[in-house]
Amino acid sequence: MLEITLTLTLSHEYVGEGIGSRNRRANAASLQSAAMARRPFGQQAMDEHTEAFLDQAQAARFDFKTASAKAAGDERLKLAVNNAVMRQYSGRSLALMQLPDADRLRTLAGQIKQHALDHLDYYLEQLKANVERNGGQVHFAADGADARRIILDLAQRANVKTAVKSKSMVSEEIDLLPAMERAGIETFESDLGEFIVQIGHDRPSHIVGPIIHKDRRSIAELFSQYFGTPYNDEPTALTMQARKFLRGKFRRADLGMTGGNFLVAETGQVCVVENEGNARQSITTPRVLVSLVGIEKIVPRLADLAVVLKLLARSSTGQHMTVYTSLFGGPRGAGESDGPEEFHLVLIDNGRSEILASDYRETLRCIRCGACLNACPVYRSIGGHAYGHVYSGPIGALITPLFQGLANFKELPQASSLCGACYEACPVKIDIPRHLINLRRDIVNQRLLGFWERTIYRLWAWSMLSPLRYAIVVRLQRWRLRRSARGSGWVTRMPKIASGWTQVRDMPAPAPRTFHQLWSDR
Amino acid sequence: MTQPVDVLARVRAALGRHAPLSAPPIPPEMDEPITRLVHSDFGLPELFARKAMENKIGVELVYVDELAERLIAFLRVQQVQRIALPVSPFLDKLGIPAAIADGGFFATRWDQMTLDALYDYDAAVTDVYAAVAETGSLVVRASPGHGRALSLVPPIHIAILQPKDFVPDLVDLLQKLRDDGVTSATSIITGPSKTSDIEMNLVVGVHGPTTVHAFVLQ
Repeated sequence: MLEITLTLTLSHEYVGEGIGSRNRRANAASLQSAAMARRPFGQQAMDEHTEAFLDQAQAARFDFKTASAKAAGDERLKLAVNNAVMRQYSGRSLALMQLPDADRLRTLAGQIKQHALDHLDYYLEQLKANVERNGGQVHFAADGADARRIILDLAQRANVKTAVKSKSMVSEEIDLLPAMERAGIETFESDLGEFIVQIGHDRPSHIVGPIIHKDRRSIAELFSQYFGTPYNDEPTALTMQARKFLRGKFRRADLGMTGGNFLVAETGQVCVVENEGNARQSITTPRVLVSLVGIEKIVPRLADLAVVLKLLARSSTGQHMTVYTSLFGGPRGAGESDGPEEFHLVLIDNGRSEILASDYRETLRCIRCGACLNACPVYRSIGGHAYGHVYSGPIGALITPLFQGLANFKELPQASSLCGACYEACPVKIDIPRHLINLRRDIVNQRLLGFWERTIYRLWAWSMLSPLRYAIVVRLQRWRLRRSARGSGWVTRMPKIASGWTQVRDMPAPAPRTFHQLWSDR
Repeated sequence: MTQPVDVLARVRAALGRHAPLSAPPIPPEMDEPITRLVHSDFGLPELFARKAMENKIGVELVYVDELAERLIAFLRVQQVQRIALPVSPFLDKLGIPAAIADGGFFATRWDQMTLDALYDYDAAVTDVYAAVAETGSLVVRASPGHGRALSLVPPIHIAILQPKDFVPDLVDLLQKLRDDGVTSATSIITGPSKTSDIEMNLVVGVHGPTTVHAFVLQ
C-alpha cells in the first residue's frame, strides 16, 4: 500500500490508465470473438468495431476503457475519422473569419439560447399556442417511450403504411426507427448517411457526418448486397443509386418525419437545415408530417435565427449556409396541393427538464453542430462509437452521463485532457471543460469510484496535506524509483497499479536532488 | 391527455417557478453590427451573383428583352423536354409560358398537375419570394399557385429574379418574413442538393435538383 501511494505522488494522473490496463487485452479479445460470432445482416457483417461497441453500449455498465482502447488501435478508423473531421474543422476556421466578430456573435448566440432556457416554460407555451394557430397539433412527450407511443398512435390513426424520415439526433436518442419497424410501418432513413447506417444496421458515429467511420469499400459492398447490384464504389454512382431508390419511397410515403434545429416561439415554426433535400421531401410529399424535437431547441424570435444560422453551418461544415433551410409550422395552407394534410409537433423532454434544474442547464444550449467533436483530440483518436451512445465527442462525454445516468457512464467525463478546444469551438459557448470537471466532482461526491481508487486518492491527498508527510513520501519515492532505475537511468517497470504508464514508455530516474533541496541551498 | 400539463409543470418546477411568468420575458437585444454582413442596398444583384456562383448556382444577368431567348437556349442545352411552372403573374407578364410553348417544350402549370406527375418532369421555371445577396440564396414560399415541390422535385430548377426580390442580408429576410406573416412553408435554397457523406466526396444532386440556375433581370 505504501508503495502505491508513493508511486501516486509522482505520477498520480496515470492511475486511471493503470487500473484499466490490467484486463484490457483479455477484454478486447473476448469482444472480438463475440463480434465474429454474430452476423446480423444476411452474410454482411457489421463493421467489427461498431458491433463490438454496440454490444458494449448495451451492457448495463458501459466499458469505455475497452472500447476506446480498441478504437485507438484501429488505424483505418482513425484515418477515416481524421479525414472527415480535419476538413470540417479547417473549413470552420475559414468560415468564421467571414463574420465581423465571430467571438461576440458566439456570445450573443449563447445568450439567446440561455435566455430561452431560463424562460423555457413561457416559450413552450407561446410555441404551442402559435403552432396550434398555424393549424398544427402539439404533443408533449415525457420520455422516449412516451414519444414512441405518441408517434405510433398518430401513424396508426392515419393508417400509415410507409414512412420516410430525415436525419434527427433525437430520434436516434429514443430508438424511433426500430420501434416503427416493429409496429409494421415500413420506414426509411432518407439522409444518405443515415440510410447507409440503417441498411448496415450500424450506428451514427458523428452528429453531422453519421458514417465518417466507414470507407467507400464497405459502403459499396453494403449497397451491392442490399440492392443486389454489381459492386461499384464510385461515390456519385452510390449516391444516385440511393437517390433513385429513395425517390420511389418519398413518392409513396404516407408519413414524413423530421427533427428540428430550431423552434421559433413567436411564429410557431420549426426550422430544419440540411444539404441533401430529404427533409424538404419529408415536409412536401407525405400526407402526415411529424416533427420530433427536444424542448430545448427554442429560440424566442424569428430574428434570432439570423444569429444561430450564421453560426451553425459555419461551425459544423464550414459552409456559410446549408443548401436548404426550411421553416414550417402547420399543415398545407388553404388551396395548396402539396405539403402535409396534418402536422404534429412532438416536443420531448426525456431528461432535459432534469438537466434544466441542475448546474448543467447551460449544456442544453447545444445546437448539435459537431464542432467540438471535430476539435477534440480524443474524438479524433477513437471516433464516435467508443462513447457508447448517440452523442459522442466532448458534448457526448458531457450529456450522455446526464441523460443516461452518471453511474452508467462514469468513464466518459474522464475521457478528456481538458485542453479546452471544445469550448473554443462551441458556437454557443458551452464551457464543456468546466462541466466535465464538475461531473468528475459528482463522481467523487456520489461515491461512484471503486473502493481501492477512492482509498488511494485519499491516502495521496492525506500525504500531500502536510509538509512533513509530503517530504517523507517524496524521499521514499525518490529512493525507490532511483533504485529501480539503477544501471540504465530509466524506470521501465512500475508496480501493478501504475504499470499502464510504463507499459508503453519509460520514465527517467528522478534527479539526485529535489527542487526543494536546490531552492533551500540557493 | 395529461402529458401537456406534466412536461410544462416539470419545466416550470425545474426553473424554480410555481406559476407562469406574469409578464413576457425580454430576450437579449439583437446586435446588428455583429450579426449583419451586408450593410448596404447597393449592388445587391452583383453580390448575389458572386455568392450564388460560389454555391454552384448558375447566374445570368439579363435584360428583359433577351430573357426569353437566353432561357430557351439554356433549356435546349440542358436537353429539357417537360417543364413545370407556378401560377405567376410575374412570369406571365414576362411572357415566359408562351416563350416555352413556342420553343417546342411541354409545359404544365402547377394548378393543372398533380404532385406525383411532377416526378416525371425535367425542370421547373419559377419566380421567387426573395433572394438573399449575403448568402447567394433563393427563397421560395409555398402557396396554392406555387407548390413546395416545384423547386425540389425536378432535376433542374430555374429561377427568374427581379431587382425588387433582393434583400441584403439574412437579417433582412427574417424581418420580411415576420412582416409578411407566417405561411405554411418557406425554404431558403443555397445551391443544388449535395452530400459529402461518402468519404467526404462532394456529390451534387441527392434528393433535390442537380442544377439550379438563376436569371437576374437588370
